[in-house]
Amino acid sequence: MADRQFIGKPARRVDALEKVLGTARFVADYSLPDMLVARCYRSTLPHARINSIDLTGVEKIAGVKAAITCDDFVEHGRFGFPIVDMYMLAYQRARYVGDPIVAVAAENEDALEAALAAIKIDLEPLPGVFDPRKALLPEAPLVGEKPRDAEGYPHGNLLIDYIVRQGEPDALFDDCAVRLESEYTTMHQEHAYLETEGALAVPWKNRSGVTVYACCQSPFLARGNLVRTLGLAEEDVRIIQPYVGGAFGGKDDTMYLTIGQAACLALKTGRPVKMVFSREESMIASYKRDAMIMNYQIGADADGTLKTCRFHGIVDSGAYAAITPFTAWRSTIHAMGPYRYTACHVDTDVVYTNNGYAGAFRGFGNTEVCYAVELAVDEIAARLNMDPIDLRLKNCLRPGDTTAHGQKLGDDVAIAECLEQVRQISDWDRKRQEYPPGDPVQILPGEIRKGIGVAAVFHGMSLGAEGKDSAVSTLCINDDNSLTLTSGLTDYGNGSRTVFTLIAAETLGINPDRIHMLRPDTATGRDSGPTVASRATVLGGNATRVTAMRMDTLLLTAAADLFGCQITNVLRDGENYVGPNEEPAGFEEVVAHARQMGLVLSTEGRWNAPENHWSFESGSGKPYFAYHFGAQVAEVQVDTGTGKVEVTGLWAAHNTGTVIFPQGALGQLYGGITQGLGYALMERVDFDQGFIQTTNFDEYLIPTALDVPDITGTFVEKPFTDGPFGAKNIAEPGLVPAAPAIINAIYHATGRRIKNLPANLERVLIGKDLRKEGSNIACKLGLRQV
Amino acid sequence: MIITITVNGNKCQHEAPADVSLLHFLRDYLHLTGTKEGCGVGECGACSVLLDGKLVNSCLILAAQADGREVVTIEGIHAPDGGPNDLQQAFIDYGAVQCGFCTPGMILAGEALLRSNPRPTRMEIREGIAGNLCRCTGYQQIVDAIQATAEMRREKNLRG
Repeated sequence: MADRQFIGKPARRVDALEKVLGTARFVADYSLPDMLVARCYRSTLPHARINSIDLTGVEKIAGVKAAITCDDFVEHGRFGFPIVDMYMLAYQRARYVGDPIVAVAAENEDALEAALAAIKIDLEPLPGVFDPRKALLPEAPLVGEKPRDAEGYPHGNLLIDYIVRQGEPDALFDDCAVRLESEYTTMHQEHAYLETEGALAVPWKNRSGVTVYACCQSPFLARGNLVRTLGLAEEDVRIIQPYVGGAFGGKDDTMYLTIGQAACLALKTGRPVKMVFSREESMIASYKRDAMIMNYQIGADADGTLKTCRFHGIVDSGAYAAITPFTAWRSTIHAMGPYRYTACHVDTDVVYTNNGYAGAFRGFGNTEVCYAVELAVDEIAARLNMDPIDLRLKNCLRPGDTTAHGQKLGDDVAIAECLEQVRQISDWDRKRQEYPPGDPVQILPGEIRKGIGVAAVFHGMSLGAEGKDSAVSTLCINDDNSLTLTSGLTDYGNGSRTVFTLIAAETLGINPDRIHMLRPDTATGRDSGPTVASRATVLGGNATRVTAMRMDTLLLTAAADLFGCQITNVLRDGENYVGPNEEPAGFEEVVAHARQMGLVLSTEGRWNAPENHWSFESGSGKPYFAYHFGAQVAEVQVDTGTGKVEVTGLWAAHNTGTVIFPQGALGQLYGGITQGLGYALMERVDFDQGFIQTTNFDEYLIPTALDVPDITGTFVEKPFTDGPFGAKNIAEPGLVPAAPAIINAIYHATGRRIKNLPANLERVLIGKDLRKEGSNIACKLGLRQV
Repeated sequence: MIITITVNGNKCQHEAPADVSLLHFLRDYLHLTGTKEGCGVGECGACSVLLDGKLVNSCLILAAQADGREVVTIEGIHAPDGGPNDLQQAFIDYGAVQCGFCTPGMILAGEALLRSNPRPTRMEIREGIAGNLCRCTGYQQIVDAIQATAEMRREKNLRG
């Protein structure tokens, strides 16, 4: 490996200083003269026909400046990708508790409150679908807009379905020594970004356009939705991203609505409009990680060789498609886990219900299936009395293997290395010996038992065959010899601004302090697709490398001209350029000479991901250009008197390729694992007849510093040919295997396999729910709380 | 009513409704926006400030309750030159910051802890920040930063 100055070396986050001083401004911190405040009136019913909306009382209230409905948008504000089924404000029907129907802008909170109370909406209750298993019954009420017998679909509530097909699994089960059949379920998970949703829309002079400051993940997609629903030209919309207080996949669709409503109100009133959610509004209105029902049949030989896998999954998309079709596709592709089979069939149905709505959340469909398949594989190891890591090593994908999708893998596959490393750093073999396997029949109540469990993960990189996959970065040298770097991808805390800065600095051989990496702004950055799918480091990083290489060529040309030599004879020593006569010229001198030569010191770099292809009909192809691999081990202590689970140790080995920003990569890993710990043990958004039961952090618990132990993380830095400096990704895969590792550790401790997340006290203690969660009355809506 | 609070050493006086929270008094009346609102019900700690030296959730306290008392917000935590103090520098150096939304409250929790317990164990640090939610970091690098600051302050005191 070439000597590197910045890549993989200790570095500091480029935006840490303003964050520790408290001067980093988030959208709620912005204030403008004449600014109005805005909020939505939201549906109090899970499914209802909107018979009438009467705003006459509202407009008479002093201080109320505008109230809008879907009629204030083009085509009722209809938008959505990949399926167009959403409206900027509800049209004809409200489909979930919290569906926005009217948006109001007022001079102050008091007028806003009065206005929301004065809105008269005739909502006629409609029967709803709350159990995804019943969504496709002939008598199920229709939630979506498709007719019951839409073309190619057996039922209007079937949003979409996907398959993977390899061989004929059924024929193989009879010959298998072990045949596992099991159902697993996961719950909706709340992103719980500490910063709630917010947007500040500022109309241009004469209302000719609008600028929106918003904490969204994908500003170019937000712009596209405004263009479509407000009938504006692209150049009349500017989206600027302030600091974003966490996203984890959750600041796309909800934010598109918020941006659209605020922009519409700003254009209507001619005044700046700020809309910031309370925590209650955030939890009620925003989309969640989808809940999933997963059925597995897996057959294996007596020696632990996995032979055959059959999977059927039902994904609860809730009231709208949002991005769930893509999430469910990722579930489909990853449902069999990172293992070889002789035959494998996967079937996934995505259904509409009236349980809020689902969308992207870190892990993006893989989190759900990884939990289930890693429990199933672990169960097979238990039945065969095999060590769980040995069974995984026997079956895991290796370089050159062909996946169940028919994809021949490259030499970057590193799951075996990850399993071996995590086995070593967790002291697995000793602990498996030391902690006696639990047996529910023999455990004495109140006994404190220890257990250790493992889970492995593969995670397709970037968008895969979901769609066009490219990113653009730009670089220019300013008059003061500082450099400005842009990307169309967002840093919502993930550290990508630092990663891009380090990549540009390394490529150009200059100090990172010279580089100012801007936050995205549709007026200065270039469309780079959505900031999702852990794609920033590879996509944005490669684009940054391309733009920096172009700039490097310009500067080398200038240096060669200055020295009167060939470019190939120019060497670098730190920031200095060294000619054949060993005469050095500093960076400034070379830049000045380049300007004299008339070179334009501004470059743009695009990187297109390698080609993927997927046949939705045959269920085979090359779904992703490459995969991230990882393995995690969890150690738990279970109080068998109360069911309380304490996670006492976590070890993780992930195949990140070259690590660019070590402190940031570790932070992503620790943070991801902690979200996975919450998913395993405590996080649960419960819908009771469509009414959400958890609306703030007093009811929806996320891990505190006391719930998570010190984590040991290690990276398998096998360089990845297509990554910038050999880098892969880390953001999502850190979360994905944490929950199954913890649940498998609980099994080791207690002999009880928790097949329904989360593993709360009663499930751990007695193996089932004591009561249905939640109340039968309408939830504490809290919609009007500030 | 007229509310008078000494904020970061400056006496601040403002007319405000009797029911305004300390959080909104700071943010909306004094325009000190470093203190964040994350939940409004005292669960997340993003609004942490020091009230007479004690760590509190400013969303749970009325501005009127702080009348005549001393409040320290994140804007009051810095080195004499306005740059980061040692704890803030440790947050930068140890990677304790990701999105940054919990960071002001987390730093105040760290300061409050180190003032009351200059030699905290890692578990005591975890207890000290247990009222402050962070969704990004998994807390580990925050614990590292506070622990390193405790050690640095101890060494500095020994050197005298």
